[in-house]
Amino acid sequence: MAKLTIDDQEYEFPDGTSLFDACRQARGEALPHFCYHPDLPVAGVCRLCQVEVEGMPKLTIACNTTVRDGMVVHTRSERVNKAVQQVLEMHLINHPVDCPICDQAGECGLQNQYMQYGLYESKVPMAAKVKKHKAKVIGPYVILDQERCVLCSRCVRFCNEVTGTGELGIYNRGDRAELDVAPGVELDNNYSMNTVDICPVGALTSRDFRFAKRVWMLKNTRGVCPGCATGCNVRIDHEGGRVYRLKPVYNPEVNGRWMCDRGRMTYKELHDERRLLRPFAGGREAAWTAASVALADLLRDGGFSLVVVGPRASLEEMFLARKLAPADAVVGGPADLDRGEGDDLLLDGDRTPNRGGLKTLGIPEPAAADLAARITAASGPVLVLGGEPGRDAGVAAALAGCGGLVVIATHDGPSVQAAAVALPGAAWAEQAGVFVNRQGRWQGFAQAVARPGAAREGWRILAELAGLAGVETAPQSLRALRKEIVDTVLSEGELDMDRMPETGFVPGGGER
Amino acid sequence: MKEYNILSSRFGRPDGHKLAVYEQEGGYKALRAVLEQNDPAAVRETVKESGLRGRGGAGFPTGVKWGFVPQGAEEVYFFVNADESEPGTFKDRFLLDYDPHQTLEGTIISSFAVQAHLAFIYIRGEFGWLVDRVQAAVDEAYAAGYLGRNILGSGFDLEVIVHKGAGAYICGEETGLINSVEGRKGQPSIKPPFPAVAGFLGKPTIVNNVESVASVPWIITHGPEAYRAFGTEKSPGTKLFSVSGPVKKPGVYEIPLGLPFREFFHDWLGGMVEGEKLKAVIVGGSSVPVLPADEVMNVNLDYESLQQAGTMLGSGGMIVIPESCDMVELIQVLMHFYYDESCGQCTPCREGTGWLHRIVRRLRGGEGTDADLGLLEHVCNGMAGLTICPLADAAVMPMRSFLGKFRPEFEALIQETAAAGAQTRWPRGEQE
Ligand SMILES: Cc1cc2nc3c(=O)[nH]c(=O)nc-3n(C[C@H](O)[C@H](O)[C@H](O)COP(=O)(O)O)c2cc1C
Ligand code: SF4
Ligand code: SF4
Ligand code: SF4
Ligand code: FES
Repeated sequence: MAKLTIDDQEYEFPDGTSLFDACRQARGEALPHFCYHPDLPVAGVCRLCQVEVEGMPKLTIACNTTVRDGMVVHTRSERVNKAVQQVLEMHLINHPVDCPICDQAGECGLQNQYMQYGLYESKVPMAAKVKKHKAKVIGPYVILDQERCVLCSRCVRFCNEVTGTGELGIYNRGDRAELDVAPGVELDNNYSMNTVDICPVGALTSRDFRFAKRVWMLKNTRGVCPGCATGCNVRIDHEGGRVYRLKPVYNPEVNGRWMCDRGRMTYKELHDERRLLRPFAGGREAAWTAASVALADLLRDGGFSLVVVGPRASLEEMFLARKLAPADAVVGGPADLDRGEGDDLLLDGDRTPNRGGLKTLGIPEPAAADLAARITAASGPVLVLGGEPGRDAGVAAALAGCGGLVVIATHDGPSVQAAAVALPGAAWAEQAGVFVNRQGRWQGFAQAVARPGAAREGWRILAELAGLAGVETAPQSLRALRKEIVDTVLSEGELDMDRMPETGFVPGGGER
Repeated sequence: MKEYNILSSRFGRPDGHKLAVYEQEGGYKALRAVLEQNDPAAVRETVKESGLRGRGGAGFPTGVKWGFVPQGAEEVYFFVNADESEPGTFKDRFLLDYDPHQTLEGTIISSFAVQAHLAFIYIRGEFGWLVDRVQAAVDEAYAAGYLGRNILGSGFDLEVIVHKGAGAYICGEETGLINSVEGRKGQPSIKPPFPAVAGFLGKPTIVNNVESVASVPWIITHGPEAYRAFGTEKSPGTKLFSVSGPVKKPGVYEIPLGLPFREFFHDWLGGMVEGEKLKAVIVGGSSVPVLPADEVMNVNLDYESLQQAGTMLGSGGMIVIPESCDMVELIQVLMHFYYDESCGQCTPCREGTGWLHRIVRRLRGGEGTDADLGLLEHVCNGMAGLTICPLADAAVMPMRSFLGKFRPEFEALIQETAAAGAQTRWPRGEQE
């Protein structure tokens, strides 16, 4: 441990702690900075995190200093403030200040720090600034404005150190230096949009989000990416019932500070035209009441003889679905569906968010052929939810031949087409729930946006089905449902699912 | 005026670069002695005792630097810095041109002292012919058994690679130099770690200037006391000064440190050429503060005296400036140099060197105002001491000193401009 003084107060930090991090904790806010990033090697190029260390003749940058016992550090002295102001000014002299048309405005490191250390008068006339490329498309998802770039090299280090793909570099020297892709190369790796996140200014922006919304109008909700079994933690940025983008949220146990481009684009499915917005009964759009009548009719002679619950359902939905049929008649979607190639960074080969939930509840996943056979053999009504098993042709054929098919779905598809009754369910951003990722980690997500059309929360639909099927033990509130899940799967009171720990919950401790 | 021959005994001799001549005049005896004694620590100690200070500009004691290599390091590299790009400096090229074996012997002894088995001689890109000259010397040394495996039967191995730079000033900065050899962009690394701990390929690396290295064989042969007999207590030995400007006898001189400038100027350089009057001197390369004639006449040429006088000994690249020279024009040349050579990595230097360059160019273009002088100072304040490497300071020091010592020339130019009704030769906002 090192004992040191920061701004006249004593602190203790483990040896090897970066002085930058120590100052962040001591001050309750970070030092001014552009280039420091906790997950990237230190560059020390922006020169903004200057601090005064007693006994050293010059100011020093905190990001390249480790704490030392007995250090006396000043971060707000006259000398430091002056230096920061001057260095900030240097950052702005060749900056185009086109904030009115910049997507970064409102979450821009240059804007924010300038306001704080304010120097409001420009000493360089607009026409005398160095001109560089604006709006250069450098990859499928990212667009570059070289004039806004402060050359912090974060994006370069990301591509060198995190993805190891090395697409970006800083070319030329002096104030002619500019960020660019290597000649003939595109910024096209599965993590490219993280460069947009870490770019402290509006130099790298998302082509997808470009000019879509002013960032200060967005509301944020915590979520979990539904793109694969990793379950990266995300912030859902939305407004007026529309999701505009996903951003990774720091979870050291799962995704660190990154997420993949594929995952980032999953929000698109929320708003696509295949969304199922109303119930269907007998091939026709119906009101919920009419659908209920049809369901009551269908379930008159008893419950479901088979329940197929896919890995896109939440843990809550899976748990309730399990009550709708005898234990050996509840199965997962085809085991071989939704698989692809993973990588060793985040993306998992399993492209569904909750196979972990099926495993947790002991719901088996038959192979597609077996599933098709079970559907064909079902003597009574069959319930399908939590995914589209009909993307397997054999399963689709079996579903088409199934007389009493009930489907809870977010999107139109083969099962909806084959259904006697199809019910619009809420998608992941439209309801609260828990996904269990590949580590067996329970991760909660909240409702971000309103459900479209007549869609309802999955657990409510299932609770109603339970009522119609004569199952008496179905809980009637999410709270009660969650309590029952905990009491059944974990030991009583081990977890409050309404207050999931920040980094998620792994039953029986941390190991995967 | 006496002659000093520690470094320059073969300067100007057409055959001085040949191994036979070098050996005939006692060359490679120091190496034999060192390898026979086989005690690297003793070599380090000798050089430390000699008080030899790095001749690349910073004046850091060479033996002390060698001691920073961690004890028991397995893989150590030695670099000879022959990037010599500081305006006004042209001494290392003399050493390599006329006497490459002296530097090479120094390289082998220094490498032995830090137990490096691979050494690079990094030569400035524009010195194409020097690369050939040094390579020829290296080839001769290999053939004679001074390089390669088991040198002179001692069991010590050393390979030497002559590396040609691409002409960037910043590659003379030791970490920029190392990055350049590693095949990366030639730009400095942040310190710590220092190269002596983690340099080339992340391994302990010592970088020394050509002149520092070339001084080593003599020190070994004659001993530290003999070396200390020259120079002053804190600045021992002799130093090369490369003198340019309208003096009667410009060129490269080896002088004992501590020599009064007045004596050097009159007795060695022969004073100014007819019709010119001394106005100022930049004593140690373009990066050090300029001294007006009356101040420079009272200084001695050693590290401490020059520091006291507000400047630095630097590389010993002495630029003599005559009365007829326009100081604003001169600073424009220098500011363009630093603007052009900044690697652009860190913000105060990247933006500051460009800003200084543009303001000075504006002044010279007849568009200056009184506010510009304050602005120049303001920009200097935003650069000094705030960057990764000293290039920013190297731009600030001349700028500040020119402004401080020759302010009337700047003011006169601005008044002239105002009087002329601000006719514009350089359009505002012109790009480069
Ligand atoms: C911008 C810059 C340029 C430099 N150029 C040279 C050079 O051309 N030759 C040199 O020997 N040292 C140069 N140096 C100094 C080196 O970084 C280093 O200090 C020196 O090579 C160490 O050798 P010494 O200890 O023998 O002086 C330069 C430093 C800076 C900051
Ligand atoms: S594009 Fe952004 S992240 Fe990359 S160097 Fe420029 S400012 Fe930094
Ligand atoms: S790695 Fe998986 S969970 Fe993470 S963002 Fe990508 S698809 Fe989503
Ligand atoms: S001070 Fe200048 S030359 Fe040195 S690292 Fe910074 S930008 Fe490059
Ligand atoms: S954050 Fe420390 S130099 Fe950029």
